[in-house]
Order: sequence, then structure tokens, then C-alpha cells
Amino acid sequence: MNEHDMKDEQNDTPEKSTTNESRRNFLKLGAAGAGLAAAAAGGVTVLKRMEGLPLDHFPLPINDEYVRIDQRNQINTYSFSKKLNDDHPERTKKFHDWNFYEKKKGFFIGPYRDKAAGQGQLDRALGAAGFFSPVSQLGYKSTGMDSLNAGVASWEQTMLAKEKYKFASPEEATLCIKSAARLFGAVRCGITPRDERWDYNPLYDAATDEVLTWEKDFPFKPRSVIVVMVDMDYDAIATAPAWTTDGATGDGYGKAIKLAGQLAVFIRQLGYQAVASMNDLGMNVPYAVAAGLGEAARNGAVITPHYGPRVRVAKIYTDFDFVEYAKPRDFGVASFCKNCKRCADSCPSKAITLGDPSWGPEYSTDPDYIWQASKGVFKFHNDAKLCFKFWIENDGSCAACIASCPYNKPDFWHHRLVDAQNVIAPGPVHSFMREMDILFGYGKVSDPERVTKFWKSGAKI
Amino acid sequence: MMDLTWYLLGALSCAIVYGLYELSQKQRLNWLDWTGLILGAVLILFAIAWSVGAVLEGVPRAGSMGMLLFGLPGIVLTTLSLRFILARKEKVS
Repeated sequence: MNEHDMKDEQNDTPEKSTTNESRRNFLKLGAAGAGLAAAAAGGVTVLKRMEGLPLDHFPLPINDEYVRIDQRNQINTYSFSKKLNDDHPERTKKFHDWNFYEKKKGFFIGPYRDKAAGQGQLDRALGAAGFFSPVSQLGYKSTGMDSLNAGVASWEQTMLAKEKYKFASPEEATLCIKSAARLFGAVRCGITPRDERWDYNPLYDAATDEVLTWEKDFPFKPRSVIVVMVDMDYDAIATAPAWTTDGATGDGYGKAIKLAGQLAVFIRQLGYQAVASMNDLGMNVPYAVAAGLGEAARNGAVITPHYGPRVRVAKIYTDFDFVEYAKPRDFGVASFCKNCKRCADSCPSKAITLGDPSWGPEYSTDPDYIWQASKGVFKFHNDAKLCFKFWIENDGSCAACIASCPYNKPDFWHHRLVDAQNVIAPGPVHSFMREMDILFGYGKVSDPERVTKFWKSGAKI
Repeated sequence: MMDLTWYLLGALSCAIVYGLYELSQKQRLNWLDWTGLILGAVLILFAIAWSVGAVLEGVPRAGSMGMLLFGLPGIVLTTLSLRFILARKEKVS
């Protein structure tokens, strides 16, 4: 290198240095921009995932063993009918000599118990008031929530308009129905084709002990089922299994059947036939799953985003089918339920399985014991008899499986963040999240503090 | 109340960003310093937001746990990062 070259190099150094720094800064900015873009793309993906991945098939596998459920074998219907209990002494014998009809006679009217545990007169009054709306005010039969063809769930096609309203498109029809549902109190609404597999067959009216058929007795052939959900009060459900819970349970039933009745009138006023239904006519969980509203959970309920299992489901059967049907969705709940088991641990009657999904009940194979169970669906199989037995012994409803579920949270930002995390995280993280949920103080049942907290919740308004 | 919290956290975030900018002008920061300071600040802000939310929903235990599991690591990270930066500064001077 000669002198001239050295001079040139010395002259070039500051410029080169500036160029290199600019390049470095440019690269840093580029990396920061790419990082931000990647984070935004990740956020959008998670949000999309939280809305659920649409599925082309029903998410629970079903085999040839599956038969439609006879409504007489539905535990609520069965327990309200003296005739059904008398007809099946073998069932009573196999189940701790427990005649559901006889045992249920004093249900919800027993003597007051421990006030601190939420079983005093105050809590009883709340429960009675909660159940007042569907049972008395709306004319729903007092035989329970499974009564069919009564009150707002009547099969009579009253207020049926002569002229059929023509929607411009199925999308518009669906949007209008959902808008009406929202107005009347729904937090979720989805429409699915009527699927006979989920409808009871035959139907049974426990109030009159009549066996009814879809073909001869039901007023029309349903083509679509509109599934609606209402939420239940978080603070009241958190008191489970205290009687305070009944206020939320009863109110949830009341709101749901009122909403379903109003939507049925809405459809009839559009010129199409419709019947509102609560727990009668068909099973709510598979219909809610088919309508893309949630997933079937370990506790036997449907878990829906934001509310978890803290919802009541009602449905409207209609012959209107010019709608955009929803698809079932994968929200990641089934995977979480496999690992969590919090509901099973919290269940006072141990009715909820701790095992994995199976094709039929694993707690017994005796036909005289598992008469109420469905077979041929790969799901969590629980013993509904044990659950209902506890209700009667508790002299109130329970909801411990709802209160303890990590998906049951009030609407606060940090819970939505945990929801997002649960959707994308793999199985072992779900077990960790369950432990964190306990450590952070959520989902404790049989806690008198929750009762005290509920009775102070009025200060919010 | 949560809205007010978000507003105050926004103001706090601006102050933290300004503080980091000022620090970077006075002291050369390497990638480890940046990581420690940003992660620490984010954890502290997250812990405040979490805990206020938890207290507002009536679960103070979740608030305390939030402070312990998010806030404490945030404070430790920020303190350690600042200590390293200051130690380097003293060594240079």
C-alpha cells in the first residue's frame, strides 16, 4: 500500500463509518418492524383461533351402537313421573333403593339449614324467586324444565302470519334472527339443521304420562333448530352448591325460556312454524355444539367462549330453512378438559368421570343401572343419577362443576388473555393452568365466603 | 375503574419509553440491557394491570399472586439491568 492509497483510506473512513452505521440502524429498524409484524400476525392468529376452527363434521365420533334417547330415560323427566318410577322397580333397587319420584317430593321445600353455608331462609327465598319466572309467571309446567307443550313452549302455532316473509339471502335471515335473539337477551345464538339423532324419541310428557311422537303429535316437521344461550350470574354461581346458586340457575332457565318463546313468536310472525324448547324435545349440548356455540365438556355441559359452562341453553324448532347454517367449531376445550378434571374433583356426588372419553359409561355395565346413559358417542360419560341424587339431598341445585371450571370467569381482560393462552398451548400446559387457577384462588366450591360476597354484590349497582 | 387504570398505565408506559430513550442517549446499551429493561418494565406494567383487575373482580388473592409471579421478577430484572449498566458506567469513568 503506497502513501497515496493510505491517504485515500484515511479520507474514506468517516464516510464508510457513517454508511455502516446507517446500514446497521436500517437493519435494526427492519428487525424491529419484522418483529412487530410477526407479533401482530401471531395476535390475529390467536384471535381467529379463539373464535374456533370451523369443522366439517360433528366433533364427537359416533358409532352404530348409538340410538336416539327415549325421553322417559331422561333423568329429570323420569324423576317427575310416578308412573315411570313404578314401572321400573329394578332401577330403584339397583340405585341404593332410591325412588326418584318419592325422594323428590320434598325437593326445594325442606327445612332451612346452615345460614353461613348459604342454606338459610335468605338463600331459599332467592332460589324460589329465581325459579318463579319459568314455573309460574310464564306458565311453564311445574313438573320441571323438561315439560313440553306448555306455556311459552306450547306447540300451538298461535300468532302465525299468513304471509311468509321473504329474506333477500340466507345470510340476511340468519343475521336478523340473531339480532332478534340478542335483543331478547341471548349472549350466543347459532342455527343448525334439525338432526334427529339429538331429538328424544319418543317424546314423553311427565305431567300427563303421555308418550308422544314427532310424526303424529308434533305440529310440523322441523327443518332447523335455532340454539340460544343466556348467561347466569357469576357471583351467585360461585356460591355452589349453596342454595344461593338456585337464584342464578332458576333465573337462567327463566331468561332462556322467555327468550326462546319470544323468538318462536318472531319466527311465527314471519309466517313460519316454530316451537320453543328448553330441556324437552332434544338434547341441548349436541345442538349447541352443532350450532358452533361451544364444545361438549367433561362436566356434561357445553363450554362456550367467555362464559364457559355458565350458560343456559334453549332452542327453537322451526320449518324455516332459508338460513345460513353454522358449523361446529373447535375451541380447544376438549383438549383442556382431558387434562384439567377440576369439575370431577369438585363434584360433591362424584358423578363426573375422571377418565378419558369413551364409547359408553365406564362406571357400570349393568343395564338396570345405566338405563339413562347414551352409548355409541365418544365422550365423557357421567352418572346423571348420582348428580340428581345430590340435588335432592342438597335440597337445591348444585352447579359445583360450573363454578369450579377454569373457563367460568367474569369478563375481565386477564381472563381473556388466559383463554387465548389456553387455546394455543399444548396439553401439559393445561394441567399447569389448572394448578395456577387453584393457586390464584379461583373456582373454590363450598366456600361460605362466596355466599357472603354474593350478598354484598348489590353494592355494585 | 379499569378504564382509569389503562389510562394511568398508558401514561406510565410513555414515561418508561422516554426514560429508556434518555438512558440510551447517556449510556451505550447492549442487547442484554435492552432485553432486561424492556422485559422488566413490561412485567411490572402487566403485574399492575393484572392485580388491579383481580382486585376489581373481588379476588384479591389473584391480585397478590399476580404481584408475586409477575411483579417481583419484573422488579428483579429491572434492578439487575440498571445495576449492570451503572457498574459499567463507573468502570468506564
